[in-house]
Amino acid sequence: MLSIKSWVQSRGNHFITQFESTSQKLILMFLLAGISYGATGLGAMLLMTLLANSQLGKEASSKHGISALESSRLGGLAVAIVILVYTLGFSLISPYTPGPVRDEAFLYLWCAIFFCCALGFAEDVKPDFLTPTLRLAAKFLVMAALFWLSPKFIPSSVGVSVIDALITLPVLGWVLVTIFAVGFINALNMADGANGLVPGIAVASFGVFFMEYGRPMDGALLFAFTIFFIFNVISGWYFLGDAGSYGLGAILLGYGLLGVAEGTFSAGFMAAMYCYPCVDFLVSVIRRWRAGRSPFSADNGHLHNRLHQFIRCRVSSPVIANSLTGLVISVLTAGFVLMMYLLDALPPDSNLWSLVFAVEVALYFATLAYLTSIQPKTQYTDPL
Amino acid sequence: MRVILLYIIAIGLIWVGVLESAFSSAHSLDHHSNAESIESQLSICRILAVGFVGGGVVLKMISNDSHRVISKGNEKPQAQTITSPKILSKS
Repeated sequence: MLSIKSWVQSRGNHFITQFESTSQKLILMFLLAGISYGATGLGAMLLMTLLANSQLGKEASSKHGISALESSRLGGLAVAIVILVYTLGFSLISPYTPGPVRDEAFLYLWCAIFFCCALGFAEDVKPDFLTPTLRLAAKFLVMAALFWLSPKFIPSSVGVSVIDALITLPVLGWVLVTIFAVGFINALNMADGANGLVPGIAVASFGVFFMEYGRPMDGALLFAFTIFFIFNVISGWYFLGDAGSYGLGAILLGYGLLGVAEGTFSAGFMAAMYCYPCVDFLVSVIRRWRAGRSPFSADNGHLHNRLHQFIRCRVSSPVIANSLTGLVISVLTAGFVLMMYLLDALPPDSNLWSLVFAVEVALYFATLAYLTSIQPKTQYTDPL
Repeated sequence: MRVILLYIIAIGLIWVGVLESAFSSAHSLDHHSNAESIESQLSICRILAVGFVGGGVVLKMISNDSHRVISKGNEKPQAQTITSPKILSKS
């Protein structure tokens, strides 16, 4: 028995040593990209590798969440270039008309997405270029303008009678959805701390959107985020950065709200899909407020920080520990919803998805309580 | 200089997928007027161009377009609902 255990351990260490080598990582990344998306995937992977190696947007490991490597903040830019090249090309050589050209609501949505990306990009290239208050105010302004110009994004019913009564009131509904939108974008930015966490949620979401609507833009988003997910999980050389997380937050928010407003998805479905960023954001804000600090100040008290510490004690490679953290969370939340959708376990417009959301929330608090009980307190609640 | 060349290669490879999805879409609609019998088997060429997952994505896009064209019947189709230049010109 002991010899089997030592053999498994030695093979594990051998695998980790192999995995740590840059050339091995590159081979694995290009292989997965080639199998999943062929020559197009190889092109997108090459583009991301080149951008990750440029000096622009490099950040020291200590500055970002649980990353142990010097990483690039330009993940969002890389994804945006891939989407732009694909969509522009497809629009030029086929009669496909992109959403913003044919529908006013999509035009306003993509303008808001572009503005959020630009806001984040300024921060990625020059940290602290804009004050947090100014960024927050700008996001409020953009989202308020979006919902004012295009009220079709405001759902008429979310399945909770109290909220339904409030959001049907014209001005109050607009205010509430704007606050929710800004909170959601910040939540996604806050969750962008472990490899594969936010990209995993994005892949699952765009997978569902694409299977439901079949729009070429959803296909392009699914493609770009799948390649980024592979890159992010294997290498850890990238994270989305503010541009990526703000932009992705705005896209997921817009598509999600529209899906609920049109009745394609229930609010419970979207809540289950985006459970982790939303719940973790609320818990973090409450924790900081109770400690007498600013709700938006950074600390290491997130569930992914604690889970990473738990895994790090058992896995020697920092990249594998980081990626496992992100994968565990994204697979158990958005991945589970995607699997249930694929298996047709529940129709996407069913209110029973609220039960799935409730189970995810219970799992979040149970895991947080367990990890809090076995880990020292101050390390996670002190500001960075 | 080498980096610029690599960027050009990367964008060129992405364009392989753009061309494959655009022309597959057009080809499929031109050859299946009822659009119900959409080619479901992936060709080697398509696998090399867009891979296994990408092949599924392209098929879904084609089938989505075809259903929209059929649902329009003889009505003049809107530009966004079809991807076949021939069908667009026929209307």
